[in-house]
Amino acid sequence: MAKNKAQIVYSPAQKAIRVLLWVLLVCISVIVIFPVLYIILGSFKENQELLVGGSNIFPARWVTQNYVDAWNQANFAVYTKNSLFLSVGVMLISLFVSSMAGYVFSRKTFPGKEIIYGIFTAFMFINVGSVSLRPLYELATNLKINTSLWPVILFSAGGGQATYIFLCRGYVNSVPRELDEAARIDGCSFFQTYYKVIIPMLKPVMATIAILSFRQGWNEYIMPRVFTMTNDSLRPLTVGVNMLKNAGDGAAAWNIMFAGATIAIIPILIVFICFSRYFMGGLTSGAVKG
Amino acid sequence: MSTKPYVNPQLAPTTRTPRPADKKMRLKESGGVAAWVMLAPSLIFLAVCSIYPFIWIFRYVLYNYDGIPAHTRFTGMRNITNMFADAKFWSSVGTTFEYALWKLVFIIPLALIMAVLLNQKLRGSSFFRGVFFMPTVISSSISGMIFMFIFATGNGILNGIFQKLGLIAQPIGWLTDTSVVMASVIIMSVWAGFGNYMLYFVTGMTSISEDVYEASRIDGANAVQTFFRVTLPMLAPVLKVVLMLAITGAFKDYEAIMVLTNGGPGTRTNVMFLYIYNLIFGTGSNATRQIGYGALLSLMAAVIVGAVTIVYNIVAKKLDDVV
Repeated sequence: MAKNKAQIVYSPAQKAIRVLLWVLLVCISVIVIFPVLYIILGSFKENQELLVGGSNIFPARWVTQNYVDAWNQANFAVYTKNSLFLSVGVMLISLFVSSMAGYVFSRKTFPGKEIIYGIFTAFMFINVGSVSLRPLYELATNLKINTSLWPVILFSAGGGQATYIFLCRGYVNSVPRELDEAARIDGCSFFQTYYKVIIPMLKPVMATIAILSFRQGWNEYIMPRVFTMTNDSLRPLTVGVNMLKNAGDGAAAWNIMFAGATIAIIPILIVFICFSRYFMGGLTSGAVKG
Repeated sequence: MSTKPYVNPQLAPTTRTPRPADKKMRLKESGGVAAWVMLAPSLIFLAVCSIYPFIWIFRYVLYNYDGIPAHTRFTGMRNITNMFADAKFWSSVGTTFEYALWKLVFIIPLALIMAVLLNQKLRGSSFFRGVFFMPTVISSSISGMIFMFIFATGNGILNGIFQKLGLIAQPIGWLTDTSVVMASVIIMSVWAGFGNYMLYFVTGMTSISEDVYEASRIDGANAVQTFFRVTLPMLAPVLKVVLMLAITGAFKDYEAIMVLTNGGPGTRTNVMFLYIYNLIFGTGSNATRQIGYGALLSLMAAVIVGAVTIVYNIVAKKLDDVV
């Protein structure tokens, strides 16, 4: 790499162009960051300042009262707890289900395998939108499990599993079969091979799935909205903060909504900054292969 | 943010020899029961979350159903004739096409240009890549809300900045004026999504060999020529996949639009999946749920998206033959 760099010599004109391109990238980055920065900084403004508007990004006076109000009065403590429960639940179930299915799909031949695999693929492309939430909602009501967030967790994990299974299967395919056979000779059963040999090898793709499914659960909106229509105490942040918009005169609660939206994006941004390579890696490997 | 892009080993070009298909080489297969048990959770999920709702839709297509089982009535072909006469639905289909077209026109070139710039290995490329990708990790409901604040007519910051700079005399009704609201929706969805497609392009470009660029440099190609004669042709397979994802993605968008404008003002930004959502959950202007009718429209919407995908594939294939 270093050797390669040394070979490239830029003429003054090229250097000027490169500086210009760099400036362009900086400008676009500013535009991209702006909305997020605006909502975070705005959450420290007084409501009066937000309602008047203007062109200031930074608060005239920094206040943290918005967060105190959101947390205590607007029920955001509960929403945050629900969001965490929902996203961790989706993450754990997705990891569990997709790693096993990916392993079986990669290592086993059994009658009907291609058909089952084909059905998984087909339902990734068949999209009937929100209408599928209706039967699931009625199912949860009939089973009387709609008093918790569990149906949302299960249906979310179930809806997103295909991508993760494909990721896992592709990764298990790249693990040499000789390892399985060595384990088999040492007396491991099919399942033991999975959790003693394959799982440790799967760490990178499991990390990707963990992150992607956590984001999926954290960002889920329509489904929890439908399932918690009548139950405020089950709402995750995405739904809770949007419900404020409809509550009474929405304009009055701008400061709470700013604080709520900030609470909803900060955790996922921190996860993204720490694990950005898994976000990006999972996305591209799934798509190009998929 | 890490400096090196994470590349899944399965993407890396390898020259592994194909495995021998000869079963005799392998140990005797065992653990058939274990395999089915391990597959069971995902099969149950598939049955409950994908297959069951799909069949359920067909069950209600010819019924009038408002969510109360006792009210369910068979109405024969009424839903179907209603659908063809439903001007609101077909106008929402038109809106969806308008939205998808404008979104694609802006998001694909922007993603491609950004990917090319990042590929120049300028200082801080991985930082820029992280920044451009960042909006895609935010929930579409929250990004809809953020832009609702930014685009607010009276106290929104965009009007504030434009007025301060003297660009506009009167505040623009970003979300209330029927002639600009579509632009606002497009701005939001491009912001929220272009990082995704950019990343596909970046990944595609890293697999183009450095030798090809060197050869074109030696032949005296300038940057523009290099892009059109080298990068773009070699990127064609990736471009085709990305376009396909972008098209189907654009037709499915409705969460963020629901939060930003809720289809308004009037029905100016009422895309078809939003219209259907309001029918099924009775949250629109008409408070009665029409689930049977909504189920039929969902199928129609799925058919429309499917048809667009097929047309795109034919066109892409034709282009392949020409180029």
